[in-house]
Amino acid sequence: MKRSILSTFLVTVLLVVPLSSLLAYEGGAVSDGGTISGVVKFKGAAPAPKKLDINKDKEVCAKTAKNDPTLLVSGGNLVNAVVSIADIKKGKKMEPQKVTLDQNGCEYHPHVLAFVAGSSVEILNPDGILHNVHSYSKANSPFNVAQPKFKKSLTVKLDKPEVVSVKCDVHGWMSGWFFVADNPYFGVTDNSGSFKLTDVPPGTYTLEVWHETLGKQSQKVTVKPKEEVKITFEIAKK
Amino acid sequence: MAVRGFDEAEEKKSYGSVFLLGSVLLVVLTLWAFWDDNFTRRPWKQFQAEFYRLDYRKAEQAYEEEDKKLRADPAYQELVKKLAEERASLRGGELAKKLKVLRRDETKADVRFTELDQEVKFIKSELEEAWYEYDHAVQQGRGAKPYEDRIRELEREKAGLDPQLEKARQEREQIKEEIKKVNSGIKDLETQIAKLTAERDKWVKAMENATLNAGPISFYKIPKIHQVVLEEFDRNNFDQPVARVDRCQTCHMAINRAGFENEPQPFRTHPRREVLLADNAHPPDKVGCAPCHEGQGAAVNSARQAHGEIPYWEHPLLRGAKVQSSCASCHLDVQRLEDAPLLAEGQRIFEQMGCTGCHLAQGYEDVPKVGPSLRRIRAKVDPGWMVRWIQNPHSVRPRTRMPNFSLKEDEAVAIASFLWSISKEEGEKWLQEQPLPASFREGDKSLVAKGKDLVESIGCKGCHGFAEGEVSTVLGKEKELIPNLKNIGEKVGPRWTYHWLKNPRSFSPETRMPSLRLADDEAMTVTAYLMTLGKPADEKPSLEKQLQDAKNIKRGESLVRKYGCFGCHDIPGMEKESRIGVELTTFGSKTLEELFFGNRTDIPITWDDWTTNKLKEPRIYATPRVEQVMPHFNLTDDDIKALRILLAGFRERKVPSRYRADQSQRAVQVVEGRRLMHQYNCIGCHEIEKRGGFIGKYYENPALAPPPLNGEGEKVQSGWLFGFLKRPIPIRPWLNLRMPTFGFTDEEANRLVAYFNGLSKVEIPYAYFDERKVPKEHLDAARILVSKDFFNCFSCHQQGERKPEGPPEGWAPDLNLAKDRLNPEWIIKWLQDPQKVQPGTKMPSFYPGGPDNILGGKDDKQIEALRNYIVMLGRKGPAAAASR
Repeated sequence: MKRSILSTFLVTVLLVVPLSSLLAYEGGAVSDGGTISGVVKFKGAAPAPKKLDINKDKEVCAKTAKNDPTLLVSGGNLVNAVVSIADIKKGKKMEPQKVTLDQNGCEYHPHVLAFVAGSSVEILNPDGILHNVHSYSKANSPFNVAQPKFKKSLTVKLDKPEVVSVKCDVHGWMSGWFFVADNPYFGVTDNSGSFKLTDVPPGTYTLEVWHETLGKQSQKVTVKPKEEVKITFEIAKK
Repeated sequence: MAVRGFDEAEEKKSYGSVFLLGSVLLVVLTLWAFWDDNFTRRPWKQFQAEFYRLDYRKAEQAYEEEDKKLRADPAYQELVKKLAEERASLRGGELAKKLKVLRRDETKADVRFTELDQEVKFIKSELEEAWYEYDHAVQQGRGAKPYEDRIRELEREKAGLDPQLEKARQEREQIKEEIKKVNSGIKDLETQIAKLTAERDKWVKAMENATLNAGPISFYKIPKIHQVVLEEFDRNNFDQPVARVDRCQTCHMAINRAGFENEPQPFRTHPRREVLLADNAHPPDKVGCAPCHEGQGAAVNSARQAHGEIPYWEHPLLRGAKVQSSCASCHLDVQRLEDAPLLAEGQRIFEQMGCTGCHLAQGYEDVPKVGPSLRRIRAKVDPGWMVRWIQNPHSVRPRTRMPNFSLKEDEAVAIASFLWSISKEEGEKWLQEQPLPASFREGDKSLVAKGKDLVESIGCKGCHGFAEGEVSTVLGKEKELIPNLKNIGEKVGPRWTYHWLKNPRSFSPETRMPSLRLADDEAMTVTAYLMTLGKPADEKPSLEKQLQDAKNIKRGESLVRKYGCFGCHDIPGMEKESRIGVELTTFGSKTLEELFFGNRTDIPITWDDWTTNKLKEPRIYATPRVEQVMPHFNLTDDDIKALRILLAGFRERKVPSRYRADQSQRAVQVVEGRRLMHQYNCIGCHEIEKRGGFIGKYYENPALAPPPLNGEGEKVQSGWLFGFLKRPIPIRPWLNLRMPTFGFTDEEANRLVAYFNGLSKVEIPYAYFDERKVPKEHLDAARILVSKDFFNCFSCHQQGERKPEGPPEGWAPDLNLAKDRLNPEWIIKWLQDPQKVQPGTKMPSFYPGGPDNILGGKDDKQIEALRNYIVMLGRKGPAAAASR
C-alpha cells in the first residue's frame, strides 16, 4: 500500500514537473494542507439589480428576464468574484481542465469561468441562433469565432494565465470572463459570496480577490497544517 | 718578386669580419623586412589569425557538444551497433556467402548479355550495308531482288535474337537488384545515421573552413585581404565614375555569420543580420560595408585609418544611430524602413515643422506651406492676441510648431500692423458677407452643452485638443501638429468661428481644416461651446491706433521680409518671394571649414556639435557683425537628434541608380501620397501603415472608433475610394463620428488613391467582375448560407433599406455597398479570416468549419459562393433576384 502511494507520487511528480516548470508553478502531493475559506462582502448599500435590455432575437433571448451580471450582490455578499492565491509556487498538482461555457438563452453560464492555464473550454450554443465568441485577450492570441445554429459546440484552448473578457458581438449585452489561473488555488464566489480553497500547503500567502467591476484587493493569509483559516474580504465601489 | 703597387700585407689582411657583419646585417634586415611586411604593417593579419582561432575553437566546442548529445542518444547508439553487425555479417557471415554466389552469377550474366548484344550489333551493321546496296541497285536500275532477300534474311535472324537479348538483360538486372538488396541494409542505416549526425558534422565543415590541410599537417588559413569592388560607385574630381574598394571584411570576418553576436569587435555579427544583410537587402559580399557605414573602405593599415577617423578624411565612420542617415542615399521611401526610425522621424519633423519654408532641399521642393494663410487674418483674430502671438508663440501655446523669433514688443506690433493692413480689404469683405446668425446667444448653457457633446462625438478630437495635455497627432516628441483649442476664445470670436466651422474653405481656400458638414444649428452649438474656452484679454486702448500707424506698417513689412514669414504663410504681395535660408541639399557633406562657428570657442569643432547647437539655439553663432535670423523652434533633444540624422543624409555624393532601392513610379506615389496624408492628418483618426488612429484612445470599444486603413488599397476599389474621398458617405451608420469632407482636388484624391494602392502593392487597380459567369448553384448555396439558420449575416449587416435588429452600434456595413466598394478578391481573404485582415474586428470567423451539407462541405467553394452573392447584392436586373 505504502509503495503504491510512493509510486503514484513519483509518477505524478514526473508527469507534472516538466509541465509546471513552464508555468513556474510546481505541483505535487500535499499531505498536510490547510484550507482557506471565507466570504467576499460588498461594502455599502447593495445596488438594485439592473434589468438588461434585450433588443435582438427576442423570441429566443428574452424568454427569461436578465439582470446585469457585471455587479451582482446577494444578501450583502459579492457574487462572481474570483479569489485566488497570487504568489504560490508549490502546492497540489495542477492539470489542464475541461470546462464548459454555455450560452443558453443568450447569456453566459457561468458568467465568470475560472480554470488553469492549458485548459480547454467547450462552448455550447443550444439557442439555435447565431452567436459569436469574441475574446479580448492579450497573452493568449485573441479569437473571434462565429457559432451559427448548426455548430452546437466548439472548443478553444487558453494556454497562458490572464483575465480575458469574452463578448458576443451579435448580442451586445452578452459578456463573460475567463479567469485563466497560473496555479490551482482559485475559486469563484457563489450566490452566497463564499469561496473555499483546499489542500493549501502551510505557509503565508497573498490572497487576492478580483471582480470585473470593483477591481482587485488582496490580503496576507497564513495557513497552518490541516487547519481551516477564515477570511473575509470587504470590497467597495470605486 | 715585388710588384709595384702591390701590397702584400693588404692581400693577407682578412675581411672575414666585414663579410660576417655584412651577412649578419643582411639576414637581420631580411628578417626585419619579412617581419615588417607581415606583422608591423599588416595588423589585419593578426586579426584574421585571431579570428580563425576563434572560429575553430567555437566549431570544436559545438562539435563536442553535439557529439556528447549523440553519444547519450540511445537511438544513435542502437543504429551504430546495428551497422557494425550488418557490416560484420557482410564480411564473414551468411550474407557474405550469399553475396559471393551472387557476384559470380553477375559476371556470368554479364558475359552472356555482352555476347548477345555484340551479335545483334553485327547483324544491325550488316542490315545497314544491305539497305545501302539495295538503294544503290534501285537508283542504278539494276535488279534489287538479291538485296531484298538478304535484308529479309537478316531481319529474321535479328528477330530470333532479340528476345534472347531481352531475357539476358532481365537476368542481369535481377541479379544486380538482389545484390543491391543485400547491401541495402547498410545503406539504410548509413542514411539514418547521417541524418542524426548532420547537426554534428556541419561543425567538421566549419573547422575545415578555418584551416588548411596539407596531408597530415593542418594549420590556420593564410590571411588574405577580402575586398568588394563596387564598379562606378563613386565619381572622381573630374566627374568620371570610379570604383569603390571596400576591404572592411578583411577584419570584420563574422559580419554575416550567425553565432558571433556576443564576440568583441571586429568579430561581431551584424545586428538584425537576417533582415539587413539578406540577399534582397544588403548582401555584404556584393555591396560591402562602406556604402552605409562610410569610413575609408580601402584602408587596412590601422583601425583608425580604416574607419576614416583621421584628419581631413571627409567621410568618417558613422557610429551609432547616425548610420541611419545613409539609408536615404538609396531609399526613396524612408518612412517604411523599420530599421531607420530616427531618420523617418527626422523627415517627418523636417517636412511638417516648416523647415522647407526657408530652406530649399532636393526632394522637398513641393512641401506646401505649413502655416495658415494670412490673407484675411484681420477677420479672424483678436489684435491683442496677435501681437502676443507674434512676439512669442511659445508663451501662448508652448507646443505650437510656430517658432519664436525673439521679437521685441514694438517689432511684434509693427508686424501685426502690416498684416492688419494687407488683410483689410479681403477680410472686411468676407466679414460683411458672413453675418452671425441672429439666433446665436453666447453663453447659452444648453447650446454649450450640446456643442460640447458634438465636439466630443463627431471627431474634432482626431485633430484638436480641448484641454491641457489633450493631443492627437504629435510631431517629434511633443509638438502639436494641430492647434489645441483650450484657449480659442482668446483668439477668435463667434462670428468667424461659426462660418469657419460651416465652411473652412470659404475663408481660406487652401486650408486643411475639413468641413464636417455641420448643419446651421450644429455649427451654432459648437461655436457656443468653443467661445467658453478662454476670453479675449482686455485690449490696450492704444493698440488700435498703433496698428493703423503708417510707420509701423512700413516697418512691419520690412520685418516680414527679413524673417521670411512668407515661407510658411500665404501673405498677399509676397507670393513669389524665394526662401530666405541657405539651401540644405548637400548640408550633410559640409566640411568643418564650411561651418561658421562665429566666436564660439566652447563648442567642439565637429559637424554633429555644430548642427546640434544650431538647432538648439539657432542664433548661437551670431557675432556683433554677423546677424542670424533663424527662429527658435523649442525642439527636444530627441527631435534634434532625429533632424541631425536626416540632415547628415543630405549628401553631395549621389549613389548611382543601379545601386539604389526601389525608385519606381509606385515608390514616388507612396512618398507623395503620404506627404498629403500627413498634411491632412488622416492618421489623427485612422491607423495607416500601423501608425496613428490617435482618436482611438477616447473609445473603449474599438468598434466605435474610426476604422483602421491598413491594407485599404487592397480592400476597396480605386474608383470607389476616389469618389468617397471627394464626397464621403456614411458606411458605418452606428458611428457618431463623421468622415469629413476635405474638399480634395481631383489631383489630390488621385494621389491618395495611388498611395493606398502603392502601400498594398495593388498592380491592377480596376478589376471587372463578370456576373454572367457566376454559376446558379453558387447563388442558391449562398442564399442558404446567409440565411437565419446558417450564418445569419443580416443579423448584423445592413442591406439597403433592410436594417438589422437591435441598436445601431451592433450593426455592420451595408452589404449592398460591397459591389461598388470592395475588391472581389479581398472579400475572399476577409471571409477566410477576418481577424487576420483586421485584428480585433467584430466580424467573427465562420471558416474553417462551414456546414457539411452545402457545396460538398468545401470551405473554399462556400467562400467563393458567398463572395459572388455579396458582389451581386443590390445589382439591378436579373441579379437583383439574388438579393431576395
